[in-house]
Amino acid sequence: MIKLHQVSKNFSQFQAIKSVSLVINKGEIHGIIGASGAGKSTLLRLMNLLESPDDGEVEVNDQKLTSLSSIDLRQARKSIGMIFQHFNLVANKTVFENVAVSLELANYPKKERRNRVMECLQFVGLETFMEKYPSQLSGGEKQRVAIARALANNPQVLLCDEPTSSLDPNTTAEILGVLENVNKSLGVTIVIVSHEMEVIKSICNRVTVMTDGEIYEEVSIEPKGIQDIDDSPKRFVEQLTKDGEMHHA
Amino acid sequence: MPEILVQYEAEIWGAIGETFVMVGVSIFAAVLIGLPVGTLLFLCRKGQMIENKFVFSTLNLFVNIIRSFPFLLLVVFLIPFTRFIIGTAIGTAAATIPLSIIAIAHYSRLVEQSLLDVPRGVMEAAISMGASVKEVIFKFLYVEARSGLVLGLTTSIISFISYSTIMGVVGGGGIGDFAIRYGYQQFKTDLMIYMIIIMVILVQLIQFTGTTVSRMIDKR
Ligand SMILES: Nc1ncnc2c1ncn2[C@@H]1O[C@H](COP(=O)(O)OP(=O)(O)O)[C@@H](O)[C@H]1O
Ligand SMILES: [Mg+2]
Repeated sequence: MIKLHQVSKNFSQFQAIKSVSLVINKGEIHGIIGASGAGKSTLLRLMNLLESPDDGEVEVNDQKLTSLSSIDLRQARKSIGMIFQHFNLVANKTVFENVAVSLELANYPKKERRNRVMECLQFVGLETFMEKYPSQLSGGEKQRVAIARALANNPQVLLCDEPTSSLDPNTTAEILGVLENVNKSLGVTIVIVSHEMEVIKSICNRVTVMTDGEIYEEVSIEPKGIQDIDDSPKRFVEQLTKDGEMHHA
Repeated sequence: MPEILVQYEAEIWGAIGETFVMVGVSIFAAVLIGLPVGTLLFLCRKGQMIENKFVFSTLNLFVNIIRSFPFLLLVVFLIPFTRFIIGTAIGTAAATIPLSIIAIAHYSRLVEQSLLDVPRGVMEAAISMGASVKEVIFKFLYVEARSGLVLGLTTSIISFISYSTIMGVVGGGGIGDFAIRYGYQQFKTDLMIYMIIIMVILVQLIQFTGTTVSRMIDKR
């Protein structure tokens, strides 16, 4: 589904990605984990050529992106969805418009746009939020809109750059649930970049560990499922005092 | 109405009309040429979508040179060019040429600034969705920057009014010129003060409209 062949990326003198080869299979939820600055985001952004490699080949959906004309590349990107840590919604567009613009770009038949937007918003559970603006939404809701927008054109692949890193634990679990659903019920291959081990362990079945612009190791795991988050005050007190003695006032 | 205003009513209306022509043409030039120039300045920058050092440096130099001229000197300097375009260097029509040039330089800078305020991530999302340069500009950049673009234009228009008051030197007329010729040179101080009041009202109206519109379309 996604093949990187000896891909390198430099930022002026600095080698951010050093001849990396990686294959991500259809249907996987593939995690990329590593310390900050390891090159995770850069590697992900090479998969839709948001960063163009200095060397090597990138193949997605059986298309060699690195040898496409710019028009064909734009076409190919329409079947590669992407979501971001900071959501990157258009603040001056409503939820509806944010999803619809993705269809506009793909020349989706005008008459059917409205239905398709509604379908996508229903999928992420936000059909009643159509007329709201992003500033009126919580972080989790914004990320759901971003997911709906990314799914609008039925992509084969969804690239996620730290999709839960600015969300609280509860919302993180919610968004991971949505992503799992995207993979299971729509059959979309997902790549998730994260520096949070919990996130990777909960839904990924294959993980690439990165360090200093290189792959340290690839590991297959059994996803351990999304943990229910207990944020009751009782649980907080339990956690705070777990290892020590209680000091009640 | 004060007697002096009644006495000069026709001339005052004429002067207001000249100001409107000069400022109107400036606004037209600002939007029609300044907006694309500002957009190019933004997009051709290092690391932007159509990074192009040559185009960026050229436009940047043009804008800087125009803006570093004392305006009066620019007007004089442009006389041959104005004569070439309009056929004469004197009159309201001729005055619109230097005004348009400064309008383009002025507004393009403000456009560039507004576009720089658009979060980079929004453009990246657009590109990841397969948007072309044109689509990024019209469906994302201008949508996200629209309140800044309106506020910038408001600021520009007020500057154009100020610039237009100088155009008396080439027979451009306008309220400012009227105030100087009748009010100052003929010692009709009250007339000059009335003209200043008209300008203040005009500027207030424009600023109020601009601020209101920009607030209304800002959903950020
Ligand atoms: N546009 C850029 N210009 C210069 N350096 C960059 C750029 N993007 C990333 N880098 C550098 O490349 C390295 C890897 O960055 P990144 O892929 O964002 O790491 P990660 O996502 O793993 O934290 C970092 O050292 C970062 O500073
Ligand atoms: Mg990163």
